Order: sequence, then structure tokens, then C-alpha cells
Amino acid sequence: MANIWVLIDQTADNVLSAAQREIIARANALGTATAVVIGHHVDALATDAARYGVADVLVIDDAQLASRAADALTSALVACIRGQQVDVILTTTTLRMRDVSAALAAECGGALAADVSDVRINDAHVDVVRASHAGNVVSTWRYTQTPVVVSVRKQTHAEAQAGATAAPIHRATVSGITSGVQVVSSSRASGGINLSDASIIVSGGRGLGNAENYHRLIPALAEALSGAYGASRAIVDAGWVPYEHQVGQTGKTVSPKLYVAVGISGAIQHLAGMRSSRIIVAINKDADAPIFRVASYGIVGDALEVVPALIAELSKRRA
Amino acid sequence: MNIVVCLKQVPRDNTVAITSQNTIDASGIEMITNLFDEYALEAALHINDTVGGAVTVLSLGHEDWIDQHRRALAMGATDALLINADAEYDVYAAASILAAAAKQTESPQLVVCGRNATDDDSAAMAPMLARILGWSHVTYVSRVVSASETELELERKLEDEQEIVRVSLPAVISVAKGETEPRFPSLLRVRKFAKAEIPTRAVAEVLSTLPTQPQLIDRVPPPARKSGEVIAGADVAHTVATLVDRLIADQAL
Repeated sequence: MANIWVLIDQTADNVLSAAQREIIARANALGTATAVVIGHHVDALATDAARYGVADVLVIDDAQLASRAADALTSALVACIRGQQVDVILTTTTLRMRDVSAALAAECGGALAADVSDVRINDAHVDVVRASHAGNVVSTWRYTQTPVVVSVRKQTHAEAQAGATAAPIHRATVSGITSGVQVVSSSRASGGINLSDASIIVSGGRGLGNAENYHRLIPALAEALSGAYGASRAIVDAGWVPYEHQVGQTGKTVSPKLYVAVGISGAIQHLAGMRSSRIIVAINKDADAPIFRVASYGIVGDALEVVPALIAELSKRRA
Repeated sequence: MNIVVCLKQVPRDNTVAITSQNTIDASGIEMITNLFDEYALEAALHINDTVGGAVTVLSLGHEDWIDQHRRALAMGATDALLINADAEYDVYAAASILAAAAKQTESPQLVVCGRNATDDDSAAMAPMLARILGWSHVTYVSRVVSASETELELERKLEDEQEIVRVSLPAVISVAKGETEPRFPSLLRVRKFAKAEIPTRAVAEVLSTLPTQPQLIDRVPPPARKSGEVIAGADVAHTVATLVDRLIADQAL
């Protein structure tokens, strides 16, 4: 059986995220899984992780890790992995873990597979599947050296379910954690749902006509669906919406269970950021818009009529 | 302070083809400097405006990439170096080559990269360069708050968090799109560097032994999405009701 480490980093909420439960399930399916819980004051997180079917839990808890700086996390992980036979290290694809996975791979021989949709282990090698070029190229890469550090795209595997038994929890003793990075201050965005975590996203584009229509309709539809709202690059560049809301190649990559594209034509750069969403709904006046080629459901019509009708229908169903 | 900025050329729109040899064919697509690398260059020039020193633009790629170097010189970079390569390198091999090349520039204190390349999208270059060089690193920088010869104060933005961090030099940083747009080169400098000679070296001159790279097993276009349904009808209320029914049946709501 292959030895798998599944990295569970302390998040701002300090609870196990859906993406973390997903990589735990993947680790359990691949081999003998150790959940490596890393941060400061993470006992509750470790106890929680122990219930999801892993063979054991390794806790790396140190005051130096409270900053969650990639430098510090990497040096702690490198110290713990020394002398261990680990075949695959799984992480989520949060920006922090994209960073840590790359740094850790560089310390462990360089085998990094970033943002993969599948991992398979055979006798002497690890195969990963990852998309590049805005999703237009899907490559399978074979690694023969270990460990391979693999960050796994969200919503590519079922989440682990909590069981009745708990795995044993061990504590690592780590000394000499170093970081040249000092966090002076940190804050969390308040209000609204974070695009990267949202399971439903409504995005608007130029087809809405003007900024006022966007702000009148898109946040309202997002609220009716309990989702977050995004935007195409065209309207971010036009100044209708701040960059934080941009979905696409040069904005955020999202893969919610439902993505509603309103007045978005579907330029390749936009598709790059949302094409792996489970269900895509397109609302657009132009029946030939490329967005309809990736849409699960399409409505050809004027967003200014369709969106208010959809909001009314959703509130009728809720009532 | 001497700064190295990594620049990569990428196809403008990623509508690339896969050849029968499983290589990527971007012919016919305009090649541009990776968007985030433009912001990286701007951040480096901004630091250079304050602290002084040299700004060297560095890339690993095709010999045609000299135009982006000339443009960077016109924007204010002081030196350029192109490592000539036609092969496809994985990100760790590329980082190993670029780290070796950066070390061979004159006493570098800071390496600046874009947040990710829009073609490969590993977002791994800055952390890997840092670990290979043995330096600290900060990713996803949205603003340079202050800079000195020994330390940078930086704003970084994550999914829903924002941080101000201080990093001591030497360090590697990766830059995301921020509020400061890349500067335009002056016409005078564009003319001055239009035919500038760009120093070019072979990979083997920079790094003699490459690390083990993964083997490409298969390369295909993405699976087609299940063909969708256009919900037609003149009555908008009826159309949206049908849509909601479908979404409930799909457990998407």
C-alpha cells in the first residue's frame, strides 16, 4: 500500500472545509492515509480529521505557524517528512496551499502536480491528470520519483463521511521553524459570499447593457440563489465591478455546482475560469454566443426580462 | 538593489492545438507577455524608482522572445537575459534553470514573478525559485507598500483575506493584478531599444544537469460537456419555471 499524506492546513474558520474532506476521501482511496494537521491550536481540527477514515493523524502545532505563512509551514513540513517514506502528498488548491505545495515539492525533489483532476498510483509510478491552456489541453503526467506533491482541484471527488471510530492522533515535535516573512496585519473581507468557496455563482457581462443593470439584477439573483456574484473581464475593465469579482483566465477560477452566466458571450478566457462548473446556465440574447456551447441549460432572451422573472419564480418556490 | 523579473510569453487566447506528437501547437496565435508578468515588471520598476539599482528581465523560451525584452527595456528595465530553449520543461526544471540564471546576475536581492502563467497555470514558479535559492517568498502581492535595501512591506490578497507582510531580503515575490497598471514605455525609449541586442544563452551554459522531469503519457482535448438544452418559449414566466424545475431535478439548488 502506498503511503499518502493529506495536508490539512488551519483555515481562517478553523474547521474542516469541503475541499479538505474531498482530499481525505481521495487519500483513503489511494493508500494508507495520514492526515497531517498543521497550524497553531489545532486540536479540534485534528480530532475532527481523525473521524474521516484516515489511518492516523499527525499534528504539527507550533506558535510559529499561527501566521500561516507558506515559509513557516514549508519548513515545518520538511522537518517532519525527513526520513519518512511518503509516496504522495495531497493538498487543496486554495491560494495558500498552491503556494505551500510548490515550496514543499521544491524541497522534496521537485515533483509537483498542480491543480489536478485525477491521481492514480500504480506499482512504480504516480499518474496525474491536469488541464492547462485554459482547459483546452488535458495531459496525463507520470512521476517515477517520490514523494509527488499533488494539489487537487475542488469538486473532482466525493467528500469523506465521518465514521464512528477515530484514528490515533500523534504529535510531531518540530524545532527550528523559520520564516523570513512577518505578518503585520490581516483582515477578512466582510459581507457577501467568497467566490472561491461558493457552491452557486451568478456572473454578469456586457449583455446587461450598463453597470446599473448589473448592480440591480446580479447581486439580487445571487441572493435569491444563496450564492456569490461574479463578472466577466469586459465589465471589470469597464469599471462596472471591482477586480475581486472577475471570473476567468486572469481573474478567479471557480467550479461551483451551479454557475449562471447572464449576458456573458463566453470568450475563451471566461470559459477558462468556469468551464468545470457542474451545471452551467446561460442567459443571453444572442443564440450563437459561445457560452451556449458549454451550457447545461440555455435561455435565449433579454436578461433584463429573464432575471427578474427568475428571481420572482425562486421567491415563489421558497414561500 | 538588483532585481530580476521573470517574463514568460504565452498565447493570447489559449485556443491551442495538440499535434500528433502530443506537443502543443500555438501557431497562428499571437504570443504576448503573460499578463501577471507585466504587473511583476511594474512592481520591480516601482521598487527600482524608490531604491535604485538594476532591473534585469529574464526568460526561458524561444529565441523569438526578444521583442518582449526590448519592450521591457523601453519600460525601464536596465538589463535583459534570454535563456534559449525550445523544449517543454516542467515547472521545477524551469525554476531550476531560472534560479541558476538569476544567481549568475550581479548580486541579485529580489526576484519578481507573475502570480501564474495563463498557459501552464501551475502558480508554482515563485515558491520554487525561493526554495531553490534558499530565500524567503511572498505570493499574490497586490501592492508594494514600502521598499528599502533590506526589506519590503507588501500587501497580498488571498481568496477572502488581505494581509500586510514584511519580508527581509533576499526574497522572491509573485505579483497579482493590482491597482497600479503597468507603465507605458516612452516613445523615445521604444526607439532607443528597438534593435537592442538581447544577451542569449543556452540552457546547458546556465545549468549543466537538469532535474528528473515527469513523462507525458497522454494529451487530449477536454471531454465535451454533455450537450445542453435550450429552454425555449415565448412566455418568460413559463421558461424560468421550467429552468427551476430542471435545476431542482439536478440537485443544483
